[in-house]
Amino acid sequence: MTYPALGRRNFLRRLSGGAAAPALGYLWAAENGAASFLKPGGGTHFPARVKSVIFLFMCGGVSAMDTFDPKDNKHAGRMLETVNSNNGRPQLRPVLHCARVWTRYGQSGIPVCEWYPHVGGVIDEIAVLRSMYCHEVGHFPAVGEMTTAHRNRTFEYPAIGSWISYALGSANRDLPTFVNMGRPSAPPQISGGYLGAQESATPFMAGEAPLENLKLPPGVTRAERDRHVETLHQLNRQFHEDHAFDREVAARIRSYELAGRLQLAAPELVDFSREPEHVRKLYGIGGAETDDFGRQLLLARRLAERGVRFIQLCHGGIGNGKWDSHDDVADHAPLCRQTDQPIAGLIRDLKQRGMLDSTMVVWATEFGRTPYSQNTVGRDHNPHGFTCWIAGGGVKGGMVYGATDDIGYKAVENRRYVTDLQATILEQMGLDYKKMNVQVNGRPLHMIEESQGPIDAILA
Amino acid sequence: MLKRVLALALTPLVLQAGQPLWSLKPVVRPDAAGIDELAARMHKAKGLAVAGAASKTTLLRRVYLDLIGLPPAPADVDAFLADTSPGAYEKVVDRLLASQQHGVRYARHWLDVLGYADVDNGMVDEAGIHHWRDWVITALNRDRPYDQFVRAHIAGDLSPQTEDFFATAFLSRSASGAEDKAEGIGFGAVENVSSAFLAITTACAKCHDHMYDPISQRDYYAMKALFDPLAPDKRLLASADQIMAFPDVMAKWNADQQAIQARMDVISQPYYKALTEDRLRYLPPDVAALFRKPEAERTEAEKKTVKDYDTVVSLDARKYRDVMTPLEIEKYEGIRKGLTELRRDPPALPAFWSVRVSADRVGRKSYLYQGGERSRKGDEVTPGFPFAPADLKFDGASDRRQVFLGWLTAPENPLFARVAVNRIWQWHFGEGLAASPSDFGNSGQPPSNAELLDWLASEFAARKYSMKALHKLILMSELYQRGSVATPALRAANAQIDPDNRYLWKFPVRRLEAEAIRDSVLAAAGTLDDAVGGRSFRAEDILERRVMSAARTGHYDTRVNRRAIYMGRGADGSMNMMPAYLATFDAEEGHTPCARRQRTVTAPQVLFMMNNPLTHEASRKLGERLQAAPTPAAQVALGYQLTLGRNPSPAERDHALSFLASGGALDRFAWMLLNLSEFVFLP
Repeated sequence: MTYPALGRRNFLRRLSGGAAAPALGYLWAAENGAASFLKPGGGTHFPARVKSVIFLFMCGGVSAMDTFDPKDNKHAGRMLETVNSNNGRPQLRPVLHCARVWTRYGQSGIPVCEWYPHVGGVIDEIAVLRSMYCHEVGHFPAVGEMTTAHRNRTFEYPAIGSWISYALGSANRDLPTFVNMGRPSAPPQISGGYLGAQESATPFMAGEAPLENLKLPPGVTRAERDRHVETLHQLNRQFHEDHAFDREVAARIRSYELAGRLQLAAPELVDFSREPEHVRKLYGIGGAETDDFGRQLLLARRLAERGVRFIQLCHGGIGNGKWDSHDDVADHAPLCRQTDQPIAGLIRDLKQRGMLDSTMVVWATEFGRTPYSQNTVGRDHNPHGFTCWIAGGGVKGGMVYGATDDIGYKAVENRRYVTDLQATILEQMGLDYKKMNVQVNGRPLHMIEESQGPIDAILA
Repeated sequence: MLKRVLALALTPLVLQAGQPLWSLKPVVRPDAAGIDELAARMHKAKGLAVAGAASKTTLLRRVYLDLIGLPPAPADVDAFLADTSPGAYEKVVDRLLASQQHGVRYARHWLDVLGYADVDNGMVDEAGIHHWRDWVITALNRDRPYDQFVRAHIAGDLSPQTEDFFATAFLSRSASGAEDKAEGIGFGAVENVSSAFLAITTACAKCHDHMYDPISQRDYYAMKALFDPLAPDKRLLASADQIMAFPDVMAKWNADQQAIQARMDVISQPYYKALTEDRLRYLPPDVAALFRKPEAERTEAEKKTVKDYDTVVSLDARKYRDVMTPLEIEKYEGIRKGLTELRRDPPALPAFWSVRVSADRVGRKSYLYQGGERSRKGDEVTPGFPFAPADLKFDGASDRRQVFLGWLTAPENPLFARVAVNRIWQWHFGEGLAASPSDFGNSGQPPSNAELLDWLASEFAARKYSMKALHKLILMSELYQRGSVATPALRAANAQIDPDNRYLWKFPVRRLEAEAIRDSVLAAAGTLDDAVGGRSFRAEDILERRVMSAARTGHYDTRVNRRAIYMGRGADGSMNMMPAYLATFDAEEGHTPCARRQRTVTAPQVLFMMNNPLTHEASRKLGERLQAAPTPAAQVALGYQLTLGRNPSPAERDHALSFLASGGALDRFAWMLLNLSEFVFLP
């Protein structure tokens, strides 16, 4: 074939030329002459280390230098060129003085800010990735980049949870494979995209009914509904028999069954009454600020126990995301308080149940925040260097990987693109990131097109 | 002349790709009487047995849902059953094609392909984009020939028919999300024009030569050069009176804001000094000292430093809340709320974003961008397009787009009619003859019946690109009127050869689209408002989300029982503006063109239909309608007629009657009807 060859040269040219081309190890086009394609529910490529991923997405962009990547204030006041120019003209902004107080925690002695003391308490389970970067500066595209591995929207790219759901299929026939809790800050976070709506995240809530439409309409009792459904099935019989061999009708019959099983499984799933008091406390359930997120995380653990593969929690997904502290970085403080104890509680709970090794907890955000002031005492978006972390799931705890520069502006050591984080998750789920390809209407489409691959240095 | 040009242009491609690409070969009209003969040849060649004709009720419901997206009313069913003349079906087809609702239904198909959205990343929602939607509806209802339909989308600003500029939202909608709006038009045009009207994929050639198809990066930027002279053009749609009055409206709006601000300042002023002092902590001590120095005593250099750091010290409203007394906060916030409300709905004159040839862009050179990045300007490119003839000339053309349109719509262009008839086929049968309707390239799929596709393409051209004539041709075929049930004998005969019914040995039953399901629910409830055209409305769940855009209620229709094509959709910044109804049933948000809707069938869809408030309310209304029938048996029959366009079978009637006899309420029976599989399937 002539064209792949031409394309390869072109890709290599792009790879070698220009500052904009990232120096990445893997480009699917360069290596996969003929891509192999995933089969739905085809299973793992190699033995999986991890059964479930709990993906905590802090919407809006968390400041690394105010949480897990301390910088001294010797550069405070220095003028820096900003990420965004003013119509092509460079702009300068002063580096903000950072008022955080740092404590070294655990045997590893990794410093954590005063807003995250509980997470500090479990730091020995955590691999802190201080050298993440992405390309996009806006929330919407950057959230897409972090969740779909694509920065543009040439196609309707699926979220990573959808890919995992598609590749591995369900491990629990009563529950969906990919669940989301909390409002996402951008639709791609929960969209099955070109893999189809059946791979989209099922939205769960930590309340009496985990799914919005599981709740019966007002005035309808469960017993009444059961009787209605019985008659409904009788009325459906002829059509279902006539069309049992039509794929879409067959799927309809199956989806009635799954809907029924979901309704049966739900009450037990969301019934926290049998969780001991000390466990509920661990998650901060009952706390004024921690109750919401704590309930979601306890439900996340219960979903992981029941084999749900990808459980995503969007924290602060309103507007551009609550973590978007342009005006005052101290706006992070209440958000940290809402998440700190529940996250630490989750990690401790997983650990004491022996689930931490097979459950990966990922703490991520779309980008970091600038060391300089944008306006007043807030920080702007910073794609050049930011922090994510992973606990459990076979990563080495109590370690720091990569580094940003002295000011906290750019990742300089072990720079890792967001697809490397995704590749790490896939690797531990038993999936080869180079094989995450499908054919849609004959067109080969790839989950990951540019990546250095899994971050091996953090894997135990 | 064009024939020669095309032959020249296409030959090298065919050779380059190693094997001839089917879609670029000239259209050859097969010697056949029509659809049924060509389909029969295929069935015979494959050894397939075919299904018999569908029942009259099945056919009627099929053609109603297909052509107007609504189920037939009981009176329509009665009339059709009573009409035993041979032309009964044709009369129905003619009537539906003449209905205003036909344009509504097929506009939604086209808007998927063309990438319509009410809001998109960075796209302002007050810009009147719904006029484009209404233009498409009207064009289809008037049966504007397909070549004119395409011309209006690519160069409607130049059309002698004034209303055609509304079609240029197809181009202008790409401007708003882009950093450079005019450049956004160019990029969007290349990708959307080529996918919609040529079924070639060009997006990858933005950054590098196409991997699978003979489309170079240079082709991409040559095609972009066709559109480089364009800039977005806001056209006022206001009346003279509105325009004259507008300065006063604005002045009042500004004065109202200032008045509110002044009331806020009275409360916040005392805190100003303390807060500023607090902010100075964040500055290096020497800089903070400058701020404390009276302004008059600062040197020029010091003034500049103060200006540089002023951004840190400047205060925003939220800061005051940290230091005020609770009583003051309550008062302050109360006043501020008024300001927020006021700013939410700024006065605006009705307008529409079209495109125009911009005087300062028209003479500019066009360039290739390496890696698709504007900062990496490559070689200069001259206007052109993929597959362009080698001796392409733009001299003397009043607009570059006209030259392109001449080539695109020429009868010799094999892609032009093939792409269109394949789409229309897909909307009738669920799948195109070529299953990748926007990709006729090497990674697309060749047609299942190439002769049939070519026959339709040549017939379409012969009928002067009348879409209604093409619809009728397809609808009158026996193929379309076949039953959709595979009897055991039929299944046994075909199971090995074509289990998926790719060759249409029976009519393919399929799940209805989101819009058709919702419209059917409201139609059965008797609450559907089928007024044609106008502003979009916000679905109730979007209003509940209270996102910024949804709050601009002035720009939206308040009638929420209109057909779902008018349900506002899109993704605005980080805000998901897709109503749950649409998203649950696979409607896309319109950011990128959608060539073919997914048709997933999922458990959340089942739960959604069972428990969402709309079904609940519709069940109640439908239950009320059923009460009008005199006996339980008549109520059951009316329910079936209103939802499924048929009478219940004896078994169904007995189950339903025994449910009612045991105390089951009519609204609960109505709920069952709306939750039947048959109700959400095109039969």
